Order: sequence, then structure tokens, then C-alpha cells
Amino acid sequence: MDIFLQQLANGLTIGSMFALVALGYTMVYGVMRLINFAHGDLVAASAFVGLTIYTQVMGQATSLAAVIAIFLLTAGVMACVGVLLERLAYRPLRTAPRLSAVVSALGASLVIQNGVMLIWGPQMRIFPELVPQVYYTFGGVVISLMQVIILVLSLVLMIALYLFVEKTRMGAAIRAASIDQDAARLMGINVNQIIVLIFVIGSSLGAVGGLFIGLYYRGITFNMGWQYGLYAFIAAIIGGIGNIPGAMLGGMLLGLFNAFIAGYVSSTWADAFTFILLIVILIVRPTGILGERVAEKV
Amino acid sequence: MEKLQRFGYPVFFAVMAVLPHLLNPRWQAVAITFLIFAVVALSQDIVLGKCGMFNMGQALFFGLGAYATAILNSKFGWPMLATIPVAILVPALFGILLAGPIVHLRGDYLLVTTIGFNIVFVQVLQNDLGGLTGGPNGIFGLDAMNLFGLRLASQVSVYYFAFAVLLFTLWLMHNLETSKAGRALHYLREDQLAAESIGINARVYKIFAFGLSAGIAGLAGTVYATQYSAVSPEAFDFIQSVLFFSIVIVGGSSVPGVLLGVFVMFVLPEIFREFATWRFFIFGFAMILAMILRPRGIWPAKFGRIPAYLVKESKHGA
Repeated sequence: MDIFLQQLANGLTIGSMFALVALGYTMVYGVMRLINFAHGDLVAASAFVGLTIYTQVMGQATSLAAVIAIFLLTAGVMACVGVLLERLAYRPLRTAPRLSAVVSALGASLVIQNGVMLIWGPQMRIFPELVPQVYYTFGGVVISLMQVIILVLSLVLMIALYLFVEKTRMGAAIRAASIDQDAARLMGINVNQIIVLIFVIGSSLGAVGGLFIGLYYRGITFNMGWQYGLYAFIAAIIGGIGNIPGAMLGGMLLGLFNAFIAGYVSSTWADAFTFILLIVILIVRPTGILGERVAEKV
Repeated sequence: MEKLQRFGYPVFFAVMAVLPHLLNPRWQAVAITFLIFAVVALSQDIVLGKCGMFNMGQALFFGLGAYATAILNSKFGWPMLATIPVAILVPALFGILLAGPIVHLRGDYLLVTTIGFNIVFVQVLQNDLGGLTGGPNGIFGLDAMNLFGLRLASQVSVYYFAFAVLLFTLWLMHNLETSKAGRALHYLREDQLAAESIGINARVYKIFAFGLSAGIAGLAGTVYATQYSAVSPEAFDFIQSVLFFSIVIVGGSSVPGVLLGVFVMFVLPEIFREFATWRFFIFGFAMILAMILRPRGIWPAKFGRIPAYLVKESKHGA
């Protein structure tokens, strides 16, 4: 029972990181119908950007204000990178065949990943300890302060995003653009602006996810983006891609599934089981758990 | 471009036929890799280019072929030549079995599912399932191929073996393009609804495409195992699949395009090996630039013998 509760806590922590990253995939996919393969590398890059801001700008301060500043600055930098990415690699291909944009995304992923390697070097870097190591014990289950912060902050961000998309005018415009870009344009919505906006939101959330990954796992490498990116993307697909609550649900489910496989079966088979889960879900529900049935456009 | 193609092929074959005698051993090895990857990329083109299905797991079938040869040779003592039929049939069978439940998936979902198959495959290899795959180190020390008394021990002879396999693949591709099945795949790619309404069984042809493509990739796997007389899991990682996928799209899914794509993606990086750390950074930019400048690929495919009235301008691309 202890293992169960412990893995439940770990799974929720990992799951909320997956969910934060998955939101970036799902929003871009929702509006542009494009798998943004570079998103995972943006997430990896943000851990390195955060590291540099900590050492160069903040002078290695770990006060609450400094930590908040690191998060905000990193999110700001990554939002700029995300917008730049869209402008350079995706906007010129908006009317091109869909696969061209996929290859462009793969190219962008290579550029970011190797850019990180050229700037910060190929070796593993250790992420600073921004949060004090405090542990709470609840009946045999050990939970760190870090895990609590990751869970709470992720939930707050996700609820904020959900309210933004569902309740504001801007959010309505995003939803409209994701249903039909042309119709949205006819209604006077500036679709270009919407796309820039989703890249800003997606990259900032990804940046927070990347900092969490650094804080939680400590060791960061330039090529870790593909792994986390792929997991987050699977989370988005499991939930039904293009669907914001779906990405959150998918992230949590995937995190829990992963933690339980690692806890009860074997960690060397974790990836394989995750993909088998994905394949089974897609065979049973081809558009994900919360995905609607989309009629093929002719 | 058609004129270029008419002259281009004989020149290409002539150059390829004498090439190994002009190169030093290192570049001979690069040339063999070019031939092997060209075969895999052409097989990828059957599913991705001809049929328009987003398959990003081709390294799985390539690896199945290579491992079939390696396991039969090292664990069961089969001669290398005798493993070739198995290395074609096993991947083809897997291609059919795996494609069965997933061919109806919409494009991007199919793409992720095929990545998934590839990752599961590599984990199976790494975890040494059934004690056959040799775990993370793979299997090494395979015999040389023995072609009816002619031992393919030297690099030049492996080159000609690989070249023969490429020629065979090109012949197959040519036949496919002018055959009933090839036309059916073209129709399916252009407009599945219309194709089904004129009586093409989408499911059967899509599964057929997967099986054929997997079989050819498996054959390339055998050549790979012969070249290195070894196999290891990371050679068949899904990153390799991503590269094969990019080759077909950057090339434009025509035969010359795919060959150019392999040259650009595998041979050029070899030339720039001295700039090792900058290589992939620039390479990524080149991929983006190539797609922006030529969104349909460097050498876009023309439609073979589809009647003009059936070819309409595709609105949502490939």
C-alpha cells in the first residue's frame, strides 16, 4: 500500500509536468494542425536558460523573489523564442503541404537542440537547488516540498489557462480559430495574432515545465527534449489532441501509468508499456479519450 | 526535368558501377551506407510518398531484417545467403500484422503510432527478449555473405551486393508505378473517398503497401548486417526513422528526389565531419530552408499514368 501511495504522489508530480508541456503541443495542433516537434527542445532549452539566468543574472540567489524572477524571465525568453520559431519555420509554410511543415519542425528541433549544445556544451549540467529540501511524511509516504510546489503551481496554471480559453474574448477567438481558421478570419479575428498568442502561451508553459524537469531530476542534457517532448505529445494524444482539458487529463494519466509501471513492473520496460498503452488507446478510440470524432474533410 | 531523368539514370548507374574503384576505404564505406539507406528510403517512399500514409517507423522493419539475419546466422548457424528470404518475409509479415489495426488512423495519429512501434521494438532489443537479441551491445561477428562460392568478404564486393539490391529495388519501384497496385495507391493518396467509390479497397492496398515496404526495408537490413557483420539497437532507433521520413519529404518522393535526399542527408554530413559540432545545427537550418524554398520537395514526384481528368489540384497537400 505504501508503494502504491508513494507512486501515486510521484506519478501526479511527473504527470503535471507532462501536462504543462502537453498544453503547448495541443494548442499549436488545435489551431495549426501541426505537430510542433521543436516544442520538446524548447522545453529542454528553457532548463538551460533558467540555469544561466540563475548564475549570471540572479547571482545565485535563492530567495523567493529571485526564484519567481527566474521563472518569469525564463518564460519571457522562451516565449520570444517560440514566436521567432513560428515566424521563421512555420509561417512561410502555412499554405504548403502538411508534411513540409512537419519536416520544418524536425529541422527546427535539430537547430534548437544543437544550438543548446553549442552554447552550453554536450555534457550533463546540474540544475541548482532553488527549493529547500524539505520532506513531509504522511503515513509512510514521503513527499518533498518540491513535489508539492510542482503540483500546486501546475494546477494553478492549468486552471488559469482553462478559464482564459473558456471565459475571455481572446479565448473565444482561439477556440474559433481552432475550429475553422477561414471562418474565424471572416468574423474579424486576426488569426496571425492568435497563432502568435498560442506560441507565447505554449512556450511559457513549456518553460515552466522545463524548469520543473530541471528542479525535479536535477541533471539536464541538451538532448533530453525529444524524450520529454514525446511523452508530453503522447499525453496530448491520449487526451485527444487539440483539447485543452484532454491534455491535462492525458498528462496526469501518463504520469501515473509511468510511475506505476516503474514501481510494480520494471523501469527498463517503462517506455515500451507507455507506447503499448498509447497504441491500444488509439485503436479503441482513434481520436483520444476526450477527442471528438472529426469527419475527414474532403 | 524529364530529359534530365532520361540522361541522368544511365550516367548515375555508370558512375555507381565504377565508383568503389575510385574511392579510398573510408569513402567506400560511406558509399555502401548510401546504397543501403537509399533502399530503405525508397521503401519508405512506398508508404509515405506513394500512399500518403504518415509512417515514421521504417527503422523498425530495417532492423527486423538485420536482426533476422544476425540471429539466424549467429545463433542457428544459417549461412548468410539463406537468411535473405527470412529477412524479407519476417518484416513483411510484421508490416502486415502491425498495419492491420492502424491503417484507418488519421495521419498524425498514425505517425505517432508508428514511432511507438519503433520505440517498443528498440526496447525489446535492448532488454534482450528471449535471450536472442544480445541486449544493448547487439550481435557481432557474423559470417561473410557467400554467393554460390563467391565470398563477399571485401568491401568492394559488399558494395556490389548493395548496388544489386538497389537496382532490384529501383526495378520494383518502376514496376509498382506502372502497375494496377501503384495506380490504386496514387488514387488513395489523392482522394481516398473518390478512390473507394470507384471500387478500390483502401484497407487491402494500404496494408499491401506496408507489407511491401517492410519487406524491402528488411532486405536492406540484411545488407547492413553484411556490411558491419554486426547489428546493435541504436542503429534502428526511431531517430533513424525520423531521418528516413525527412529524406522522402525533402527529396520530394520521386526516385531521383529520394536518391538526392539520401545524398544530402547522409553523404554531405560525412563531408562536413570536421565541423562535427556545428553539423546538425546547420543541417536543421538547411531542412527548414529546403522546405520553405521547395515545399513539395527538391524533386517533386509527377503523377505516373493517372488519367488527367482524375488528377485535380490537391488542396490540403500530401
